[in-house]
Amino acid sequence: MLLGIETLLLILVLILAVVSLWIRDLMSSVVVFGAYSFLMCLIWTGMGAVDVAFTEAAVGAGVSTVFFVAVLFNTTRRIQFNPLDLSAKIFSAILCIGTGYLLMLGLSDLPSWGDPQALVNTNVSKYYIESAYKQTKVPNLVTAVLADYRAFDTMFETCVVFIAVLGIFMLLKKDGREPLKETSAKANDNLIIRVASRFMVPFIQLFGLYVVAHGHYSPGGGFQGGVILGASLILVAMAFNIEFVKQLLSIKRMLLLAVIGVIIFAGWGLVPVFLGQSFLDYSAWAALLPGTGEIMARSHSMLAVEIGVAITVMCGMYGIYMSLVSDGRFDKGL
Amino acid sequence: MINIFTWASILLIVLMLMLVYRIIVGPTVIDRIVAVNVIGTKSIVLIVLMGIIFDRLAMFVDIAIGYGLLNFIASLAAAKYFKKHHRIDSKNITATEHTAKGATNGH
Repeated sequence: MLLGIETLLLILVLILAVVSLWIRDLMSSVVVFGAYSFLMCLIWTGMGAVDVAFTEAAVGAGVSTVFFVAVLFNTTRRIQFNPLDLSAKIFSAILCIGTGYLLMLGLSDLPSWGDPQALVNTNVSKYYIESAYKQTKVPNLVTAVLADYRAFDTMFETCVVFIAVLGIFMLLKKDGREPLKETSAKANDNLIIRVASRFMVPFIQLFGLYVVAHGHYSPGGGFQGGVILGASLILVAMAFNIEFVKQLLSIKRMLLLAVIGVIIFAGWGLVPVFLGQSFLDYSAWAALLPGTGEIMARSHSMLAVEIGVAITVMCGMYGIYMSLVSDGRFDKGL
Repeated sequence: MINIFTWASILLIVLMLMLVYRIIVGPTVIDRIVAVNVIGTKSIVLIVLMGIIFDRLAMFVDIAIGYGLLNFIASLAAAKYFKKHHRIDSKNITATEHTAKGATNGH
């Protein structure tokens, strides 16, 4: 029934992927990638993978295009043509075709989409579908798998976000305080953008908090909510200026909060170790949280862990944007 | 079970095809930004329509709200970029123009 829609969308995605390579203006390429992201979100929605689609929606619409624009703002839109000699061109062509061939070879071994006989669908998924709600009382299985059964993976994903922001911050950070030559007196005088942002930001942040807290019942969770909260801070930084948003959340505090988010996740998983259980075994929290059994302890622990993820991701998105847009000086931006 | 919602979704995607044409051809970057923004607006409706087709609207409407709230941020970033750089090319820079365009970049 949905097959016609998906085929059409896949054709559009392919066209856009080729176009983004073909266009020689990097700004246009970034814009085409925005459209690509919208269509990928629709394809995942059509497959019923709402959590993945939500991540793509939040990242694609909220931050990734903005990051690209921030990079182009400090570099250039033009591709500098590097005339390669013929042998280098032939070598890179062989390399690309060879890698593509190997990837296609690996693709042929994957089970076909939705195959009920595939190994993944017979053993692992069956266990989660049958026991996840009984063991955790969380209706959204994706959240249960992500934050409880596979919490170890999610913890390291949070660490990866933290390392990413730390890496970009340390690479771009400038010690000298030399002022930029650009005139910024007229830069942020747009009344419409300021008023509209002042109106929108509270709703975006409220929605972000809802997504973090409601991940048990609907698509969403710490990562998506964190991206939405981070996008609201980026919007403030664009509508007003960097000095204003630094008063709300300074760079030092941003890094501190990113650390705290990781510590919340890891610390919450470490407590059961002292109670005689294994790492990240939330059921041990039943002894500490009053009035909860082992099942509800796991459910509540997921919320605590998601809050840690949200704090890290929010500070991560904000920190990456601030580093990229001001070229590590944290004084002027878009 | 092809009902009116499926047909509406297919119609929206056919309309998206026209916008993809604008993205490919679009003489300036601004044309492309507007086209992508319209694709985003259509995506919001399409996600809700898919929710109705799957008969689980509550799971899908959050994504649509997320798009509705965040859709304009990328366009705002692009707009501010052009305000600072004061330069929108009227010519489409394509693969066929391998001339030294890099030298004319002024900022």
